[in-house]
Amino acid sequence: MNEEKAVEEQSKPLVLEKLEAAHADALLAQDEVRGTAVVVVRKERAYAVLEYLKTDPELAYTYLVDVTAVDNSRMESELMQFDYARFMVVYQLYSYQGQCRVRVKVPVHENDLSIPSATGLWRAANWLERETYDMFGIHFEGHPDLRRILMPDDFEGYPLRKDYPLRGRGERERFNFDKQNV
Amino acid sequence: MGLDFGPDTGTDGNIITTTIDKVVNWGRKNSLWPMPFGTACCAIEMMATLASKYDLSRFGSEAIRFSPRQSDLLIVSGRISIKMMPVLKRIYDQMPDPKWVISMGACASCGGVFDTYTLIQGVDQFIPVDVYIPGCPPRPEDLIDAVLQVQQKIDSGALPKGVSPY
Repeated sequence: MNEEKAVEEQSKPLVLEKLEAAHADALLAQDEVRGTAVVVVRKERAYAVLEYLKTDPELAYTYLVDVTAVDNSRMESELMQFDYARFMVVYQLYSYQGQCRVRVKVPVHENDLSIPSATGLWRAANWLERETYDMFGIHFEGHPDLRRILMPDDFEGYPLRKDYPLRGRGERERFNFDKQNV
Repeated sequence: MGLDFGPDTGTDGNIITTTIDKVVNWGRKNSLWPMPFGTACCAIEMMATLASKYDLSRFGSEAIRFSPRQSDLLIVSGRISIKMMPVLKRIYDQMPDPKWVISMGACASCGGVFDTYTLIQGVDQFIPVDVYIPGCPPRPEDLIDAVLQVQQKIDSGALPKGVSPY
C-alpha cells in the first residue's frame, strides 16, 4: 500500500515519519484523518511513545488536550483489528510549535485494564485519567491519586461502558443521605 | 393586602385594624429573598428574570442572597445529579423557617429528558416543593408567575410545603 500511494507519502505528517523511524516496533497502525495524524500504539510502548512525542525537539507535543477511552465491545469491526482488545484509550496531543495535532490510541484488553499513567509527562493527565477511570474503569498505573472524579465515591460500576444500563442499576432509587454524610 | 380600614372613628382614617398574622404575611410576601440554586440553562433565564428587563424586584424579590441562612425562597433551576443532591438538601436545611421552594423547569421537577443513571428524577423526592414551573427552560414570565403564586400562598396564610401543621 505504501508503494501504491507514493504521492500521498510525500505529504505524510512529520510525526508519522518520525515515529516510523524511532518507534516502528510500537506502531500497530497509522492513519491520517482530516489532517490529524492517528497512531495506534502497543500498550507496553505507550509511555515511551508519548514521552518521545513530548520531548522530541522537532515535534514538541507539549499540550495534552484530552485523555479518554472508547468501549468497542459492540463494534465487531473495530475489535477484530486489534486482537479483540475491548477498550481503546485515546490521547489527544497538540504541538504549539508545529501547530498540529496527533491522536494516540492504545488498545487495552478487558482482562488487563492497567496502562501506564501519563501524569509524569503532563500534569493535565491527572484529572483526565481520573475521569477515564471513573467512566471506563481503566487503571492508570503510577497515577498519584486515582479516585472517581465525577461520580460519587461510593458509586459502583463504570457508566460509560456499553454494558451499563442507561437508566442505571437502581442507584437513583437506592440513593440515601445517610451514606452521603450530609 | 389583608389590610382593612377600620370604621370611621373620627381619626380621619389614620387607624388601620388588622391581625398580626396578616401583617406578618403581608411583609413576608413582599420581601421574599431568593436563594438561587442554578445548575443549568434555567439559571440563565433566572438571571434574565432578575436583571433589568424583567426586573423581579418589582415584586419585592430583588435581594438575592447567596447564603441560604439569609434567604427564604429556594429557586432550584437546573439538573440535579445524585452527587449534588446532598448539597441541595444541605442548603435547604440551612435556610431559616418559614421557607418556600420553587422547582424551576422540567429537569428540576422530573428529570426532564435526562432519564439517566446519574440524574435525580425530580427534587421533590428529597425536598418539599411549593411551586413547579414547567418548561425547558421556562421563560422569565413563568418564573415571575411562580413567585406571584408563592406570594398568593403566603398571603392566604397557607403553610409552606416543608412545614408540618403541628
